[in-house]
Amino acid sequence: MAVDLETLDFDQIAKAERRRGKGSWLIMGGALVMSAVWIVPFYYMIISIFKTTPEYAQKHPLALPDGVGPLIDNAVTAWNNAKMGAGLLNSFIYGSIGGALAIFIAALAAYGLTRFDFKGRNLWFMLIFSGTVFPFQMYLIPLFFTYQELGLLNTHLGMLIFYTAICIPFPVLVLRNYMNGLSREMDEAARMDGAREWTVFSRIILPNCLGPMTATFLLQFTWIWNDLLFSTVLANKTEVRSIMAALQVFQGSYSSFGPNVIMTAAIIASLPSLILFIFLRKHFMNGMRISNVG
Amino acid sequence: MPKRETDDEILARIGLDTLAATEKHRTRRAFRTAFFFMAPAVAFVSIVLLFPVLYNIYISLTKWRRFSGFDEFAGARNYTRMIDNPFFAEALANTAIWVVASMTLPLAIGLGLAILLRGAPGEGAFKNIIFLPRILAPTVVGVLWFYVYAPDGVLNRALGVATGREVDIGWLYQDNTVTGAIIATFVWQSVGLVMVLILLGLAAIPRDPIEAATVDGARPWQVFRHITLPLLLPTLLVVTILSVLAGFTAFDLLWVMGVPYPGQRTLSLAVFMYFEAFQKGAWAFGSALAVVIGIVVLSVTWVQAAMQARIDRMTK
Repeated sequence: MAVDLETLDFDQIAKAERRRGKGSWLIMGGALVMSAVWIVPFYYMIISIFKTTPEYAQKHPLALPDGVGPLIDNAVTAWNNAKMGAGLLNSFIYGSIGGALAIFIAALAAYGLTRFDFKGRNLWFMLIFSGTVFPFQMYLIPLFFTYQELGLLNTHLGMLIFYTAICIPFPVLVLRNYMNGLSREMDEAARMDGAREWTVFSRIILPNCLGPMTATFLLQFTWIWNDLLFSTVLANKTEVRSIMAALQVFQGSYSSFGPNVIMTAAIIASLPSLILFIFLRKHFMNGMRISNVG
Repeated sequence: MPKRETDDEILARIGLDTLAATEKHRTRRAFRTAFFFMAPAVAFVSIVLLFPVLYNIYISLTKWRRFSGFDEFAGARNYTRMIDNPFFAEALANTAIWVVASMTLPLAIGLGLAILLRGAPGEGAFKNIIFLPRILAPTVVGVLWFYVYAPDGVLNRALGVATGREVDIGWLYQDNTVTGAIIATFVWQSVGLVMVLILLGLAAIPRDPIEAATVDGARPWQVFRHITLPLLLPTLLVVTILSVLAGFTAFDLLWVMGVPYPGQRTLSLAVFMYFEAFQKGAWAFGSALAVVIGIVVLSVTWVQAAMQARIDRMTK
């Protein structure tokens, strides 16, 4: 942009700049204090996993560790005692299969809701979306008893069924909005050429929805990965419980293991979501946006 | 006023019965195909989510017996039992604190940060730092802060440095500190998202009216009060309701951090409900508590919808 230097009042600009500068020093100071409140706990967590239990007890909690060696011991202790292998595998199965199945079922429903003219379309949508309005507390007791009756308590299948169901309504909302925005010309043309509805859905609509499908999948995967409540209620056995349930039980035994070991377990439990976040930051941020404003 | 004809009747009157029939046939076929696509979602949601909600309401009106289950009708007894349960009163009081805190704190801090930070040097870095805890699971955040609040933990050490005396407050062990401590952790985790959403809302506000007002000599506070704030209202509403619902039904943090607190069950209605049902086996009473939580959550959602509609009308 060209600026007409002749007409600019440099004294005025310098004065305004100085005033702005003073104000922003104050803001910077406040921002630094706040950043400390946000960073110190992370710093504390990261240095703690490099300490042995006696070292942790003797030293100031913010003191740097003597070396990085104890991490392996801590990780092995946490892994074996919290049965983290099983927890990680279970949560991975629940998150990937449950999440993917939910997104696929939601895409099917969104297609049905946007590509056909029939009465009561809104009612059908409301019926599906009403799965998000009730607090989780209302599901717990009935599901516990029904699962007990059906033999689904403490099974992988039972958890998958629940996680799939709870992850359907929100993606239906997102994908319905998205598919409504997709032009109908292409699918009308395909129908003219004699394509069946299934072909239109799988060949034309699905490939065009990969963006929002990825974003909502990541969101649902993270939700399942982070879930503590439903695993605690419906699957608390070592072989089927989620990683967060494993971590919570391990934490409950805080008297027998040092904070260094338990925080190592917490870090291991967070690694997958951290890795996902770092590599898929853009999709993730998209997901956050649609999940909270949409 | 003459009765309004339906589409079918109009078509029949102008002598196009056959066309009406084919049209009807067409929409019916459209519905059949659409239903084929919607069926899995409808089945999953109604069987796994909606049926339990109804079943929960039913259970809350019964009396549980070990062998016959929920056969005996109890009327409103499970609800009246709440009134003289001292733990319920305490759980309700703590939940009220959670609601007020989660309605005001994330919003006030998030809005303040968003306004001060916007366009300031280092905005991006600061935003990422404040957002960081959001990536972690509440369970993990709970584990971390459990040790930050420990009697010889980071917080007490920092206070010791600040006051020059040794501090050994058992933050998570005492009646008067435990709720505040867990709320502080909740805010620590949630404020980043609130700030990011408000920044998004601010970015969507058109620059023209603000520039026009500034040119006309409006002070920054006036611009904020009369232009920015009204335009930001929808975002603030959504953000507030989200925080309140999250705070009201919070479970993970309270369950992980409340372990050393002797009155853990009274930390909130959600924890109380879990405790009564899954630790004490008071299933019917527990489901009555779940219904109470459900009524509150639905009312909050309803208030949000009503306010949203009003704001939409105002801005249109």
